[in-house]
Amino acid sequence: MNNESNRQQSEEPNRKQTALNAVQKAADTLKRRYSDETPNASISFIPGTPEALRAHRNKKKQKKKADRHARTKVAFLRYSYYDIAFKYFVEQVLDADYVSLPEPTRRTLERGAQHSNDFVCAPFKHILGDYIEALERGADVLVQFAGPCRLGYYGELQESILRDMGYEFEMLNFATVTGKPLQKYLTICKEKVNPNISISQGVKQFLALFKMIECLDAYNDAYLAKAGFEVEHGSFKRARDDFFADMRTVTNLNQITAAYKQGMSVLRELPVQEPADPIRIGIVGEYFTAVDPHSNLNIEEKFIDMGVSLARYLNITHRNLHYNEENLRRGVGEYVSYDMGPTSTMTIAAAKSYAEKGFDGIVHLKSSGCTPEIDAMPVLQRISSDYHIPILYLSYDSQTSDTGLDTRLEAFYDMIAMRKAR
Amino acid sequence: MSNAFLGIDTGSISTKGVIILPDGTIVARSYLWTEGNPTDAARRVVEDLQSQINTEEISVVAVGATGSARRLVGSILDATVVKNEITAHAVGTTHLHPDVRTILEIGGQDSKIICVENGIATDYAMNTLCAAGTGSFLSSQAHRLGVEVEEFGPIALTSKKPANIAARCTVFAESDLVHKLQVGYPREDVIAGLCKAVATNYLNNVGKGKRIQSPIVFQGGVSKNVGVVHFFEEALNQPVLVDPDGHLMGAYGAALLAADAPASKRKPFNFDISDFEFTTREVICQKCANHCEIVCVYKDDALIDAWGNRCDKGAIKVKK
Repeated sequence: MNNESNRQQSEEPNRKQTALNAVQKAADTLKRRYSDETPNASISFIPGTPEALRAHRNKKKQKKKADRHARTKVAFLRYSYYDIAFKYFVEQVLDADYVSLPEPTRRTLERGAQHSNDFVCAPFKHILGDYIEALERGADVLVQFAGPCRLGYYGELQESILRDMGYEFEMLNFATVTGKPLQKYLTICKEKVNPNISISQGVKQFLALFKMIECLDAYNDAYLAKAGFEVEHGSFKRARDDFFADMRTVTNLNQITAAYKQGMSVLRELPVQEPADPIRIGIVGEYFTAVDPHSNLNIEEKFIDMGVSLARYLNITHRNLHYNEENLRRGVGEYVSYDMGPTSTMTIAAAKSYAEKGFDGIVHLKSSGCTPEIDAMPVLQRISSDYHIPILYLSYDSQTSDTGLDTRLEAFYDMIAMRKAR
Repeated sequence: MSNAFLGIDTGSISTKGVIILPDGTIVARSYLWTEGNPTDAARRVVEDLQSQINTEEISVVAVGATGSARRLVGSILDATVVKNEITAHAVGTTHLHPDVRTILEIGGQDSKIICVENGIATDYAMNTLCAAGTGSFLSSQAHRLGVEVEEFGPIALTSKKPANIAARCTVFAESDLVHKLQVGYPREDVIAGLCKAVATNYLNNVGKGKRIQSPIVFQGGVSKNVGVVHFFEEALNQPVLVDPDGHLMGAYGAALLAADAPASKRKPFNFDISDFEFTTREVICQKCANHCEIVCVYKDDALIDAWGNRCDKGAIKVKK
């Protein structure tokens, strides 16, 4: 009897350790293997008695601190379709309420820009606008990421701007714990959001979240490649909206994989009319602007409407979950010797791979004044002349009129289409 | 009765129009100031073109519109083709100069460079942020100096030692220019400096990273300025060709594109647009929170086109 309880006690920290190790292993983007065919974040389950059977052991302890806290309302910034993942993170990992934001409007950006310094890059303005709307919708906690560029300082700055505006809130700013052990992440999540976070549940769901992001990105890649050739106008967009709606309802790993399989099979079944040699354009650029349709004035949809097959290597899967900067850099060794910051190596590597694969053009997107991407531009110019591939450079600020953009895109399309016709 | 094609290029500063025959010869040309009213400018250009041809002998069967007001003018003229100015310039220039390798273009508000290989555009760039070093910059500086902008070129050529003027940004250029005048630089040196600044600014910004190869064709309103042409040749160390019709090249390209359009789309153009009144109205869409501004174009009182909506909810359909 005595022996038994001793063994359990010594097992307890071990289980915790195994769980944390599993997350650390999944987050270790350097050593994990990844194949492009099937997204496969490895999910390891903790050996030992299943959670359900162990529940009674902690009953007494749990009861004691049950529900002394109101559930926190957590809001993220808007970032493409990743609100699905943010929601999952808040609801399943942090076990808190998620504040869903509606589609941004012109007013979102107007207010964001109004309270920002004019020279700060456009993502800052978008994010600030999102936060203002989130706070008006009753958010208690705002989440900001860590970033390898100026983004890393945005959280603090935005927090003080919002406080000056008179809002009361907590800021869960992951930049404050960057590079620190995982326990620190846990501590601030407990402190700011939910003191009763279940570690075993959180870890399990956190790994599922990785899988979810991989599924979302893999689906979107398939969408971008084929949507330009849809037979019925809008059928791909509808299918994607359905898939996203499904993904918003999932609560565990099984449901994620099921929704992904279902979504992919619907997408594959959609009738397409693909020309023998379609026009293919690769999108490269800065982390926020190149990915977020509201920041780049929906450039992907514009190209899809022209009947173009698109590819965008840059997404959370490739930049965060499976990022191996050194490997990428070795692939473009003739162009770069050093890492120049957030996405520049990826921009160059992706551009080179598109050029090698025989794409017809590359579009480089960045927010105006984004230094790391400006550094990458001379290299892109070299790739352009080495591989004879035209590159369109676009810079975004807080403009909302897309007339000038349409002119450039249309001309770019005409140019590569005429070139191809020859 | 011969078929003909009309091309119209409505820019920010000037509106250009041509009528061409199927073999590409220009039979009528027009060049007028837009004066901030593209609708009226298009009407005046069309009238001007009409007066130059004999409508008994030539019938215009397709219209191409380009330039920044292409959509508006295109719907007013019921154009067969509405194309962006970059494509139009490339098409027009490669038709007249099949061996061209580089097209430099400086207009009123924007400037662009188009690289051509075997008669096909392979790369282009367009100024992104501001109007520094374009036609409107030169006219505002001409105004400051009390000189007509048309005289800039000849005056610049008389200078032996152009002043050094920073033209990266209009504001800096202006203060630099004032400073140079105040410390006593001769006027022709300052003007030559401005022309030089336009050329170097263009090559450093728009032309950055582009391989500029001969033959080079320079067009757009600023190509009429011999001073800028001179400094381009000096900087590039290569001859720069300016076509007498260089300023019409966008309209010419649009007309060629209209001629290329399928024959089924052709319909006689009546030159009767003066008989109608065209008005535009802005409507704020209330269908969602974004509140798009939708521009509606009316011919007399009938709606002929609308644009500006971000989604299908705000689409205003024209009853045909």
